[in-house]
Amino acid sequence: MPELRKDPIIGRWVIISTERGKRPYDFKKVEEPAENPAECPFCAGREDSTPPEILALRSQGEPNGPGWQVRVIPSISPFLKRDAELWRKGIGLFDLIGARGSHEVVIETPQHIANMADLDSSQIEAVFSAYIQRTKELEKDEAIKYVLIFKNYGYKAGGSKIRHSRSQIIATPVNLKRVKEELEGARRYYDYHERCIFCDIIRQELEDGRRVVLEEDGIVAITPFAPRFPFEVWILPKKHRPDFSRIDEEEKKNLAVVLKKILTKLKSLLNDPPYNYVFHTAPFRREHKGYWTTIEDDYHWNIEIIPRLTQVAGFEWGTGFYICPVPSEEAAKYLREEK
Amino acid sequence: MPELRRDPITGRWVIVNKETPFTPKDFEVVHDEFKGEENCPFCYGHEHMTPPEIEAIRPEGSAANTEGWKVRVVPNKFPALKIEGELDKRGEGVYDKSRGIGAHEVIIDSPHHYKGLSELEEEEIQFVIDTYLSRSLDLRKDRRFRYILIFKNFGSIAGSSLEHGHSQLIALPMVPKNVREELKGAARYIGYHERCIFCDIISQERGSRERIIFQNRYFIAFCPLFGRFPFEVWIIPVNHNCDFGLMSQEEKPYLASILKQTMGRIKEVLDNPPYNYIIHTCPVNIIEMPSGYHWHIEIMPKLNRIAGFEWGSGFYVVQTPPEEAAKYLRKELSV
Repeated sequence: MPELRKDPIIGRWVIISTERGKRPYDFKKVEEPAENPAECPFCAGREDSTPPEILALRSQGEPNGPGWQVRVIPSISPFLKRDAELWRKGIGLFDLIGARGSHEVVIETPQHIANMADLDSSQIEAVFSAYIQRTKELEKDEAIKYVLIFKNYGYKAGGSKIRHSRSQIIATPVNLKRVKEELEGARRYYDYHERCIFCDIIRQELEDGRRVVLEEDGIVAITPFAPRFPFEVWILPKKHRPDFSRIDEEEKKNLAVVLKKILTKLKSLLNDPPYNYVFHTAPFRREHKGYWTTIEDDYHWNIEIIPRLTQVAGFEWGTGFYICPVPSEEAAKYLREEK
Repeated sequence: MPELRRDPITGRWVIVNKETPFTPKDFEVVHDEFKGEENCPFCYGHEHMTPPEIEAIRPEGSAANTEGWKVRVVPNKFPALKIEGELDKRGEGVYDKSRGIGAHEVIIDSPHHYKGLSELEEEEIQFVIDTYLSRSLDLRKDRRFRYILIFKNFGSIAGSSLEHGHSQLIALPMVPKNVREELKGAARYIGYHERCIFCDIISQERGSRERIIFQNRYFIAFCPLFGRFPFEVWIIPVNHNCDFGLMSQEEKPYLASILKQTMGRIKEVLDNPPYNYIIHTCPVNIIEMPSGYHWHIEIMPKLNRIAGFEWGSGFYVVQTPPEEAAKYLRKELSV
């Protein structure tokens, strides 16, 4: 019997389709377009083939030369720009504003490695440091409301033909719809229960155990109760904190170890699938209209990882109602057993 | 300069690339290779390859599950939801769940294996619309259902697994999230302005004409200013009506005609792209009709890969401004 499940945070229903029940090896290997590593503009030694760097973590060398560990550059085709004016206008009933913001690329390694799963956890830790430094810097711009950190790995997940491991940072002058929904859901729960819904989910999942992939040094990885996609994974810190950018050194180190383990499991279980990850964190808190004061207590940052194994069809777009062919309990079981 | 635009109904922001807009040629359109009619369960003579039909438009005297039909409705062979049983809503700590009750049907648009919607005669498209209406009216008699979703996936990229033209219908026991958001946005607007937001959009679009592609007596086809996808097109009835199922007889031939024109033009200008269309309509079996809502069809050509950014943020990047997309679709700009 198929089952309907509701995401307790944003209220989205998904269908867990047992009829279409799939196992990891039922998903076809996704082919990647051919690439020529010799043309990669992101490798060490080719710094002049990118726009000048915004930030680099380096122990040696000059800016825009080799010697870096992680390097952040502006996107070549930015959606949003630092120097754009934040004008606002209405045309009849429509609202328009200038595309002020930032669009940056984080080059995660000087070597030509495609999948973050293959980086050392210390390298992943350095990537997190770059995320945090950039977020704190962008927070100083009062026009920016949110910083979104995400990764597109593989062509089907929106990556380019050049496979050098990297992620993106987008700073926006508006609050994003998806983030708003999460915040509103979390606040609704907090208003009634005076507890953080994410803390409650973590507690319930650890007691139940069926959807836990791993728990290590204060970091928990679960397959969500109401997943949109097969083998979707959430990584949550047990320590309640609304902002990713405020984590301490210890958490950063533990998080890198867990993220590497999860990405490695997905890689070996699902034949190196394309995937996206997205950091969900609280918006910058400044006094403005609609501001609320409980974010500190009700929101909890987390990472969402989505392997891209299925096509999203008209049904999903039209309704925000997803059909997932793998129950999360089974996905968690496969992932627990995988190395 | 790029521009951010807000959907006045749901509040979603999109980024519009106005600096280096993509032309139809800049998108990489993936075409499927035809597998042929031989093993197609939707062709004449293969009626036994599907579950028994639920209904069909067929000449008088022709028996069910035989050839001769114009449009045929069958249960989905791999249904996402099951028709029998009770919902049995349950809680599990912070979580809610229920059994997967619903209907999942396939509407075979025509007996022609190779014809897309725009290649059907207007009369044949009217049969498809008649079938949509008849299924919508029939399924709402089941009081367990709250929403009837009618949609079409064309091409494997858009989620279609069979090449013979077909649409799908899913009847759900609850109102899906996006629909709830649309209803909420529309209610907010009518609460303040005492006007339907969709009617206001129609009159604004008809005033400027910038984004209109086709119009006839009862419908307009236009690229919404705040569309999420390049070359997204909406077809909307000019007369206010929240419920697709209650469309008038008079409107039907006009819908068939504008649908044929629009789908034909998308096919021509964008080189037969994969696409989805979805009929957005109000819920069924609810106590109060949402007065500020207005049914319409959203057509989304699948031209780019949706990446992590869009998933995580609900914030979309539109590579062709709708004003330019409309010019291409009106053929004022050549490809």
